[in-house]
Parts: sequence; structure tokens; C-alpha cells
Amino acid sequence: MKKQLRLALNAGITFGIVTIFLFLIGFTGTSGALLADLFGNKNAKPFLGLAPLMLNMLIFLALIGVWAGTYGSRKSKDQKEDPWAPALLGGLTTGLIQGLMVGLVALLVGTLMLRHVPMNMYLAALLPPAIKQFLFGGSPIQGALIQFALFTVTGLLGGLLSRGIGRSEWRARSSVQWKNSWGGFNQQTFVKQIRGNRYTRYGIYGVLLVLVFLVPLVAGKYWNYTIGTVGIYVLLGLGLNIVVGLAGLLDLGYVAFFAIGAYTMALLTAPLPHHLLWNFWIALPIGVVLAALTGLLLGAPVLRMRGDYLAIVTLGFGEIIHILSTSDVLTSFSGGPRGVPAVGGPTLFGKPFNSAIDFVYLIFLAALLIIFVTNRLQNSRVGRAWEAMREDETVSRAMGINTLSQKLLAFAIGAAFAGLGGALFASRNQFTGPEDFVLMVSINVVAVVIVGGMGNIPGVIAGALVLKGLPEVLRELQNYRVLVFGALLVVMMLWRPAGIIPSSRRKMEVEKDTGVTEPAKEGSEK
Amino acid sequence: MPNAKSPARRVSTYKIVQTILGIVFAGYLLWRFYVVFIGSPTYGPDTWARFIISGVILGSVYAVIAIGYTLVYGILRMINFAHGDIMMVGAFGGYFVFEAFKAIPAPTQTNPNLNLLNANPTLAVIVAFIVGASVAALGGYFLEKIAYRPLRGAPRLVPLISAIGASIFLENAGQLLFGTQRRDFSNPTILTRGNGWNLHIGGSTVILTYTGVLTVVLSILLMLGLFWLVMRTRLGRSMRAVSENKQVAALMGIDVDGVISRTFIISGALAGAAGVMWGIHLGLVYYYVGFLPGIKAFTAAVLGGIGSIPGAMLGGLFLGLVESLGPGILGMSYQLADVIAFGILVLVLMFRPTGIVGEVLTEEKV
Repeated sequence: MKKQLRLALNAGITFGIVTIFLFLIGFTGTSGALLADLFGNKNAKPFLGLAPLMLNMLIFLALIGVWAGTYGSRKSKDQKEDPWAPALLGGLTTGLIQGLMVGLVALLVGTLMLRHVPMNMYLAALLPPAIKQFLFGGSPIQGALIQFALFTVTGLLGGLLSRGIGRSEWRARSSVQWKNSWGGFNQQTFVKQIRGNRYTRYGIYGVLLVLVFLVPLVAGKYWNYTIGTVGIYVLLGLGLNIVVGLAGLLDLGYVAFFAIGAYTMALLTAPLPHHLLWNFWIALPIGVVLAALTGLLLGAPVLRMRGDYLAIVTLGFGEIIHILSTSDVLTSFSGGPRGVPAVGGPTLFGKPFNSAIDFVYLIFLAALLIIFVTNRLQNSRVGRAWEAMREDETVSRAMGINTLSQKLLAFAIGAAFAGLGGALFASRNQFTGPEDFVLMVSINVVAVVIVGGMGNIPGVIAGALVLKGLPEVLRELQNYRVLVFGALLVVMMLWRPAGIIPSSRRKMEVEKDTGVTEPAKEGSEK
Repeated sequence: MPNAKSPARRVSTYKIVQTILGIVFAGYLLWRFYVVFIGSPTYGPDTWARFIISGVILGSVYAVIAIGYTLVYGILRMINFAHGDIMMVGAFGGYFVFEAFKAIPAPTQTNPNLNLLNANPTLAVIVAFIVGASVAALGGYFLEKIAYRPLRGAPRLVPLISAIGASIFLENAGQLLFGTQRRDFSNPTILTRGNGWNLHIGGSTVILTYTGVLTVVLSILLMLGLFWLVMRTRLGRSMRAVSENKQVAALMGIDVDGVISRTFIISGALAGAAGVMWGIHLGLVYYYVGFLPGIKAFTAAVLGGIGSIPGAMLGGLFLGLVESLGPGILGMSYQLADVIAFGILVLVLMFRPTGIVGEVLTEEKV
């Protein structure tokens, strides 16, 4: 009983803080609008005296409350039998504490609002309409009481619910069952045959490819632009995958090579600042080669360092490129902070590429080329040398691998891919400027590789889709996208450290190192 | 290694190239020194004094932040990417304390409009530092508990990504909570930025600002305190033991998780104090304020030799001085100060990969 109370106390405080945080960043208000989009009840009549947006917010808060209640009434580890009392008590305590915290905040904020304290000077989301909504349109005391009652009731409900579903056992059992059934599905001879047969596999890839090529035809302009961005991130991710995923060198300045590709394309084809106006198809390989050469030049002195030193040096290099492109020193050469406008686009048989669809196809082709090259490299002697180097550099050197030249090769190939991505990017946007090449791009690409699954081509593609595509789908969440992105990275690492689609070797490695498949299991916390 | 002939030769060619490059860079630097100081001096001694003062102030803030990186790196061998954002949290803590003090009236006979911030600036500064450091320490504690502890023992990249995620989360939470605008850190009137002692150097006056002196003195105190903590207390001894070898430390009866947790609290508190210093001296807080100082401080930690506390202090000071003196000595635009800082980092790592005072890390540790 005491343990249950402690669990409930923790859960109540945690969820209380989370709810208050959501209120302070203005998410509770947004949740009402979001749910209104979902239910389509934006213009519905008031129900129980509540406008639809408030009602939706109530539903959202109630869901949080139920979740808190279930969480707070979960069974403590040493508890054998499962009586009613602890579950209900846990849920109730959680709800009471959460309700108390949220209610107090509502009371405080509401009173301050009535005294016309300009709270949004300090906390940007605390505008009077948002506060009024949070108080359900009533006075501060009414609002606080409603909040308190809401969380108490939903907490109790959560407790009942968790009792009904057999509490934590249910969760454990269901996940085991799910795993078994999935494993069984994988073991069936039919599935095995399909997975094992090379021609069916090629067939599936072919169908997927055709589908992917059909998508841009039905998608609108905006979506094609997004698809193009995702495609460019696939290029970048595959390039960095060689450096980080295969060779095991952490490069946090990858954006530098991207920038070099983009600026080469821009300076060679744009009318300003040099008036070179070269053909796209000549500028493209030059950009790729230049990026690769820079990779070699940077790599030669730097690649002797290991681990984090390499990370910080590459990060510094990325920043150097960014600062140089922003500063006035190079304005006459590369446009400085204003960037390079009117970058030339490609022409094919006299027909200029100007619609977004053309570029999407161009990016697809480039991605296919890179997938092909990566795939061949990965299964070649070079690829195996890289993976050996990643696992243990000393041993791989003893096996006769010239680690320095292999590292340089990885670095240069990765840089070349980034250069290709950058050149296409600049040409598609018809503009290139320093703001496209900030550190965040490098970090995004590293995240694409690691979230997707290091050293694995489908994984990287999935990573690019999730990290660059999902935020576009979640447009509704506008301001919260990046916040969710950050939280998602942490959660991904806790939940699936090997990535969405892990390469089999990498997965083995992660499991070996941590000892468990999911290191986020509660047991490991204690 | 007598039998490994070819690798030995390869190393020596690299050494030759390294030496040549080193001589070239050293020669260039000497030449620039000659040009700037003797050949055709661009600045008088007063300007150099200003550069040195600002470099030392900046450097001492970097040093305090860098110590946080180095403590965590020494124990967990991971880059705590969110450290700069913890500093932002601390800076906001200090900002709100000053705002609260400003809002409390403390009228006297002579001045009925006086507020508590100006009536008792010492108290305000002390409370600001305590609150800033505690909020940031709390942030560090929860950061470790939520984002890093479950990942103990995972491959190295996994916690790094988690740290990057936490950093993005904190930055955006700051943006959503406090808005995007840059806020003025409202100092007490005594500590108005730009006020200070006037020094007469080379025929003109150089201002030694109060805020700068406060920053330097406080960071020296913090570093001394930390040194005492690490070298003289039981917690410090356990921290050193854990950083040496976690398993053995655990066998000696040290609560490894507890020590790591406390390390994060200490490093968070240091970052928070640095954030308040940053706010008091430079005067602006916003959600992104911790980003660049964070990266610079990490650079400083690497420069000094990561994992070593005196190294972090030296590295911070060195980086601050390079940033303020470098453009002048090399005759470059001030926009390129960061380029010089990162360039120095690359050079130091090429010629002395262990940093200025760093230990030689064994492969296992790296």
C-alpha cells in the first residue's frame, strides 16, 4: 500500500508538471483546435455550456488524466495478488495530486489575469484568451475547481481502467504475445520463401519503385516540394551513412560538404556575382568533385583523431564554412549574407526543368544511383573493411587494412554524396544562402542516419521520411514541430536505440552492449 | 615495433609533414606578431588592454561552462550536448529573479521610487546566482535521469543523439515558454553595463567594468570551490574513482548512479551560474543564448584536454583570449573570430591531440 502511494505520488507530480508545462507553452489551447479538426466539430453547438474548443480541450485533459491514473495505479513490482483497493487508491491519489497542482496554477494565473498583470511579457503563451479557455470561461475559482475535479475523476477512472485490464501484467503479456506472433509470422515457410527468394524481392522493390515514381504525379506543388526535400535528405543520409554508419566516424560538420556542393552549383550557373552561367550538367560533377576533394583535404590531417575529437573538429569545420559564407569577407566572391539568387536549372534535350515534379524525378534518380553505389560498396571488400574498422580499429589494422586510406575514402565518398545533394538543392531552390547551411542541418542528417538505423539503406530512407516528412504532415502542430522532434529523438533512443529499421549486425551489437533489447525498461532504472 | 616496418615509416612521413606545417604556422604567427607590434602597429596599448580584458572575461565564462562538459565527459565519456541549454535555463532563472526584485518596491525617505533591486543589489545578485544555479542544477539532474540514465552502456552514438534531442527540446521549450524576443537582463544600477574603474593606459582610458570583474572573480571562486570539491571531499574522490573505472568503483562500494547524478547536478549548477554571469555581463537572454557558448566551451574543454579540470580552465581562458586577440593579431575581420577559434582547435588537435594539459587517453577510453 505504501509503495502504491509512492508510485501514485510520483505519477501525480510528473503528470501535473507535464500538464502545467503543456498549458504554459500554450499546447492545451492548441489541442482543442487540433481535436476540432479531427472531430470536425469546430462550429458545433455548445455542449453542457462549453464551446466546442473548450470541450475538446476538456477531452484532451481528461485523456491525460486517465493516462496519469493508469500510470499511477500500476502494480508495484513485488505485489503478487491484485486487489481492488490499491488500484483505486493509486488512481485517486494520482488524480488528486495532479488536480491540485493544475488547479493551483489555474487559480494563480486566473487571479493575476483579473488584476491585469501582463504575464505574456514573461511567458509568451499566457494571453488572456488562452487563460480564459483554460478556466473554461469561468472565474478563477470555478476554473480551478473544474480542473481539480476533472483530474480527480479521470485519475480514479484510470485506476479502474488499469484494474480492469489487469494492470502491468496485461502490458507485459500483450507485448510478449505481439512479439511471438510477429516471430511466428516471420518463421512461416511462405513468408520465408518470399523473403528468401531474390526474384520476389526484386519484384517487391520494383513495385515499390513504380509506386514511388507515381506519387509526384498525384501530389500537389507543396507536397512535391516536401518530397524533394525528403529526397535530398535521403541523399545526405546515405552519404553520412557511409561515414558514420559504415566507417564509424562521427562527422558533425557534414553540412560543410553540402554547402560546397550548393555554392559550386550556384556560383557556376548564376548570373550574379561572377556571371559564369555554365550548364547545369557541367556544374553538377564539378560540385561533386570539389566536395569530395574538400573531404580529402579535411580528412587527411583530422582522421587520425578518434571519436569525439573528430566530432568536434568536423563540427568546427562546418561552423567555419557557415561563418565564412555569412561574413562580409567573401561577399564579392559568394554573395555574403544575401546569398546567390537565380541559380541555373538543368535542361534536358532543350527542355528546361522548372516544375517541382521534374526536380523530384531528378532527385529520385540521384537517390537511386546513390543507393546502387552504396549497396555495391557495402557488400564489397571496401565496405567490409569499413565495418571492420568501425568495430575495432586495431584489429582491422592487424588484418591488413590500411585504415587511414579507408577512412579517407569513406570521408571523400560521403562528401561527394553531400555535394551532389547540395548542388541539386541549390538548383531546385534557385537560390543558395548561408542560412541553408547551419549546424542544425548536420545534426538533422546525423539524426536521420541514427534514427533510421545505422549502416542500413532502407533504414536511412525511413529515417529521412520520419524526420523530414513527418513534421510536414504534422503541420497543424506548427510551433510544436521542433519540440516534438527533439522529444522524439530522445524517445527513439530509449525505445529503439538501433533505429527504426536496424541493420542486423548493428542490432546485435546494441543488444550485446546493453544486455537487454529495450534498455528503457523500468527495471534498468533502479 | 621492430617488425612493423611500413606503418613506422608512414608515421614518420606524417611527422615530417606535421613538423613542416608547424614551422610554417609558427613562422607566420611570429611574422604577424612582428608586423602588429613592431613593424606597423595598428593598435595602441590601450586597445590591446581592452582586448585582453574582454578576452579574460569571456574566457572565464567559457571556463566555467567547459568544466561542466569536462566533468561529465570524464565520467561518462559522452558529450553532453544539452549543456549549453542548461546554461540558458540558468540565465532565465537569474533574469526572473532580477525582474522579481525590480517589481518589489522598497521606498526610502530619499527615494520613494526605489525598488528592491537597487535598494539591495548585493542580495539581488546573490539570489540570482543561487536561483540560476539551482534551476540549472535541477535541469541537469532531470536531463540525466530522463535522457541519459536508461542508455547507460549503450553504444556511444546513442546517448549523443539523445543529448542532441534533449538540446533541441530544451531550446524549443524555452522558445515556446518565453517567446522569441531577446530580453534585456535588467541589472541593478550599480552594475550598469559599461560602468567601471577607469584605467589610464597609453594616454587613454580603458574601462574595467564592474560586471566583468564580478564575472572573473566569481568564476575563480567557483573553480576553486570545484577544485576543493573534487580533490578534498568524499564525493570528489568517488567521482574520480568512477571516472577511472566504473566497475571497480562499484565494487569498492561506490553508488555509481548516484555519483553520476550528482556530477550532473554540479555541472548543471556551474552552467547555471555561467548563464547568470553571461546575462549580467552581456545583457541579453533568449532561448538560443546557450547554443554558441556551449559549443565554444566544448571546444575549450577539448583544447585544454577533455576530462581534465585544470585543462578546462586553461582552455576556456585560452579560447577567450584567442577570440578577442586573434583577429587583431592576424589582421582579420572581427566576424572571423570564431573561424580563428575553431582553426586553433584544429591545429591544437593536430599537433597535440590530447589538448594542452590532457592525459594520454587510452584507446579504451576514447
